[in-house]
Amino acid sequence: MASLGRKMLIDGEIENSKEEDVHYDFDLFVIGAGSGGVRAARFSAQNEAKVGICELPFHPISSEVVGGVGGTCVIRGCVPKKILVYGASFGPELEDARNYGWELNEIIDFNWKKLLHKKTEEIVRLNGIYKRLLSNAGVKLFEGEGKVVGPNEVEVTQLDGTKISYSAKHILIATGSRAQRPAIPAQELAITSDEALSLEELPKRAVVLGGGYIAVEFASIWRGMGASVDLCFRKELPLRGFDNEMRAVVARNLEGRGIHMHPQTNLTELVKTEEGIKARTDHGEELIADVVLFATGRAPNTKRLNLEAVGVELDKIGAIKVDEYSRTNIPSIWAVGDVTNRVNLTPVALMEGTCFAKTVFGGQPTKPDYNHIPCAVFCIPPLSVVGFSEEQAIEQANSELLVFTSSFNPMKNTISGRQEKTIMKLVVEAETDKVLGASMCGPDAPEIMQGIAIALKCGATKAQFDSTVGIHPSAAEEFVTMRSVTRLVTASGKPRTNL
Amino acid sequence: MATSFGTPKLGTTFTYQTLFLCKRFPIFPSSLSRTLEVGGFLSNGRRSHSFSCGRRFTTSTTTVRAESTNGAGSNAARHYDFDLFTIGAGSGGVRASRFAANFGSSVAVCELPFSTISSDTTGGVGGTCVLRGCVPKKLLVYASKYSHEFEESCGFGWLYETEPKHDWSTLIANKNAELQRLNGIYKNILKNAGVQLIEGRGKVVDPHTVDVDGKLYSAKNILISVGGRPFIPDIPGSDYAIDSDAALDLPSKPKKIAIVGGGYIAVEFAGIFNGLSTEVHVFIRQKKVLRGFDEEIRDFVGEQMALRGIEFHTEESPQAIAKSSDGTFSLKTSKGTVEGFSHVMFATGRKPNARNLGLEEVGVKMTKNGAIEVDEYSRSSVPSIWAVGDVTDRVNLTPVALMEGGALAKTLFANELTKPDYRAIPSAVFSQPPIGLVGLTEEQAIKEYGDVDIFTANFRPLKATLSGLPDRIFMKLIVNAKTDKVLGLHMCGDDAPEIVQGFAVAVKAGLTKADFDATVGIHPTSAEELVTMRTPTRKLRSSASEGKADSDIKATAGV
Repeated sequence: MASLGRKMLIDGEIENSKEEDVHYDFDLFVIGAGSGGVRAARFSAQNEAKVGICELPFHPISSEVVGGVGGTCVIRGCVPKKILVYGASFGPELEDARNYGWELNEIIDFNWKKLLHKKTEEIVRLNGIYKRLLSNAGVKLFEGEGKVVGPNEVEVTQLDGTKISYSAKHILIATGSRAQRPAIPAQELAITSDEALSLEELPKRAVVLGGGYIAVEFASIWRGMGASVDLCFRKELPLRGFDNEMRAVVARNLEGRGIHMHPQTNLTELVKTEEGIKARTDHGEELIADVVLFATGRAPNTKRLNLEAVGVELDKIGAIKVDEYSRTNIPSIWAVGDVTNRVNLTPVALMEGTCFAKTVFGGQPTKPDYNHIPCAVFCIPPLSVVGFSEEQAIEQANSELLVFTSSFNPMKNTISGRQEKTIMKLVVEAETDKVLGASMCGPDAPEIMQGIAIALKCGATKAQFDSTVGIHPSAAEEFVTMRSVTRLVTASGKPRTNL
Repeated sequence: MATSFGTPKLGTTFTYQTLFLCKRFPIFPSSLSRTLEVGGFLSNGRRSHSFSCGRRFTTSTTTVRAESTNGAGSNAARHYDFDLFTIGAGSGGVRASRFAANFGSSVAVCELPFSTISSDTTGGVGGTCVLRGCVPKKLLVYASKYSHEFEESCGFGWLYETEPKHDWSTLIANKNAELQRLNGIYKNILKNAGVQLIEGRGKVVDPHTVDVDGKLYSAKNILISVGGRPFIPDIPGSDYAIDSDAALDLPSKPKKIAIVGGGYIAVEFAGIFNGLSTEVHVFIRQKKVLRGFDEEIRDFVGEQMALRGIEFHTEESPQAIAKSSDGTFSLKTSKGTVEGFSHVMFATGRKPNARNLGLEEVGVKMTKNGAIEVDEYSRSSVPSIWAVGDVTDRVNLTPVALMEGGALAKTLFANELTKPDYRAIPSAVFSQPPIGLVGLTEEQAIKEYGDVDIFTANFRPLKATLSGLPDRIFMKLIVNAKTDKVLGLHMCGDDAPEIVQGFAVAVKAGLTKADFDATVGIHPTSAEELVTMRTPTRKLRSSASEGKADSDIKATAGV
């Protein structure tokens, strides 16, 4: 099986025939047991490959020497983040309950330590599940730091400092990424998302620097738990890269939920004071906080892998350069997930891992397909999108675009009295009637968008949306009942919009 | 594909029209002859030509010509007060009326005066959905779900010094204010569309005339969209029972309620009252709730509801209700008697409101359930009389009534013969936990296709692992083994109704399991499970030994 895959791939290369007789300790050695690494290891093992994988010891806060099976998603990302979002969502939920006839105390206590404890319990449980998944698949797990010492050789530094080397026919780098800190004076006073997920105390005052999804998610989490939150970001709107109209909606909602928005604002320095950390902005403002969070991007974990020594090419931010099959310039070395900085999402790393296993050990060269990857931002209320933003559609489409939007007061709000609209949007190519992009900001958006994503992935037309009967009463039914065009946009030219 | 492209335009060969030649031209003179634009829907039909919608008839063969029902071309100049007179301003009636008016026709709709409880003399613009169905029901579901959320929140660190208490009257007052608001909105929608709203009870007196409380209106077409009403079987003491209309508007919260019935209304109200800490007993004739739904869903939702404290009495038929001296009620069933109920609710089905409308008298055929019999275009046996929505007892859902109303307006007034499409209609049950589904059940799929692959997931969602509650989610995909098409999708668990809508687009579009698999998940959500089901739970093959399903059970795939 393994040799078939290899033959198909390196067909025509000189090493091919010679290599057949070489004995390796493993068919595949994976460095990094996060989403992409575990998936690739398991699926390769299922294809009869002999697989080893190494990972740093478990710790909620990652560094060069700690990590843990499960990786960012399970230990320091999606999962703990979503747990905190659930916890935070109850705050505003409880407020909404009053108009539904519920009599609650004026102030409802929130015990952060309890949530933190249960969150840690849950990720320890998941860490165990991941380990079991690997052992059940017959993958050998090594705890320690992995380095590449040759095109077919990996060295693992174990916890006691001893080093072991293994030879492998293929090496897969899946070491992910880590949060970055901006270089401003006293930056060490601030924390990153790793620490934010494991804070001893819940901040009463938080300053968040950054406009990406991590920034808006933590702003929502702390605000929902009752903290006062200042969100500073460089652009006019948060969530650069998303549909502009939806960015404006998110900004409005965050503000509506009581987050102090500081657009076009950077932090210039931090100072430790009696009352807390003083964060100075480039507008001369001073914000006092218990916690300052840097959510200013993540960088690939490639520094200590010794990749330069074996000649693996990196891009200028340090991500591993790979081809469409996730192969580096060294034929026996591959990379998937955030370390390649393609689309940094767990399900994409899973897809890349699966494709890798199929390509190398399944005899089925398979490229990950990056079209129509849906994603979600778990701010409160959440945003979810699939396909093109209106701006991307304008760039890419061949004809005029029909933009359908729906802005409505969700039924729940009619009684709760919450003033917050749900917004949905479909961008349709006029000539083909194809739905190029869908977005939604409002409760349940990430759950709602998954099915819509299948339709878009398969090139569904607006007429197919329209021919689907609604589920009543739901928010999602708006997606199939958008009858009148909000605006027409010329693909090449400027949009005729009210934005 | 696009229905608007796929629908054949009516040509001269269109057969069903030629069948309706016998109806007498109505002799009632117009009582409102000021309305002259009767030809609005006749002329060119196309909206771009609507400026020409005068009184002149054209001979265009592509027009749906309801006037052919007059039997003779010489009668074509007959003037009616309205192109369309709709009886019943619920979902279907309002939709059809508005759309017809938007297509340039003159439309009137009559509706009974507003009341939260329906009867022969009360109703209200908005109909069942807005006043006595979907909307108030969902509002009560929202209210009742909070008790579960309070419990969940404890697992997430929230602490309540005193246990949250619920005040029923606040809820009902706020709910009714919202219903009044929606009733007003619906009236405005009609007004803005140029539809004349007449308050009163409409009755058909001949194929082209409607009587509303003594006043006569003539119309080229009459639409019956009077909906349905709860039905309570006649057993001793049934007068003590309340129906869903009353249950949505009780003066006080039940302490202990018996709900008779196992359909979606029964399980929804069971969830509502249970969430508001009423003691709930559900009496069902069968072994399981929700007959007609996928068997696994029926099992799952029953278990989950029982875990939340609802007591089911299965295989028990109600026989009598008795009032005891302390004012409580007892329910006698085929198995015994349960006492101490503050309320007994019957959710034992709904019946079409087709009686006393003069329909039989003008020759409109009824089904044996008392529904109006209609053809694929919603036309009754009387060519000028049409019917949409629950009164036809096809698929009794608001969005289906909307579809039927929209299709009818197109058929009659936009020169676009349109049949409602009943394939892959998604629907939801707002039980707690809720259900969402689209397409066939496993049982239907086996019957229709024989060889099917079943994919299931039964898991504890992330929220439940933290809350410590026994909540689970069940999902199921039914796939045609030969074509790989997804035939059915069923889910029970949080957010199921919202989740299923997008999948319904995919199922309706005929997409395959491979298409589902090719879609990247949204992480972490529940919905992503539906695109990451790798291994069939069982493969059912009709060819295996004498129709016996060959069950090949595999463990659910991991992360």
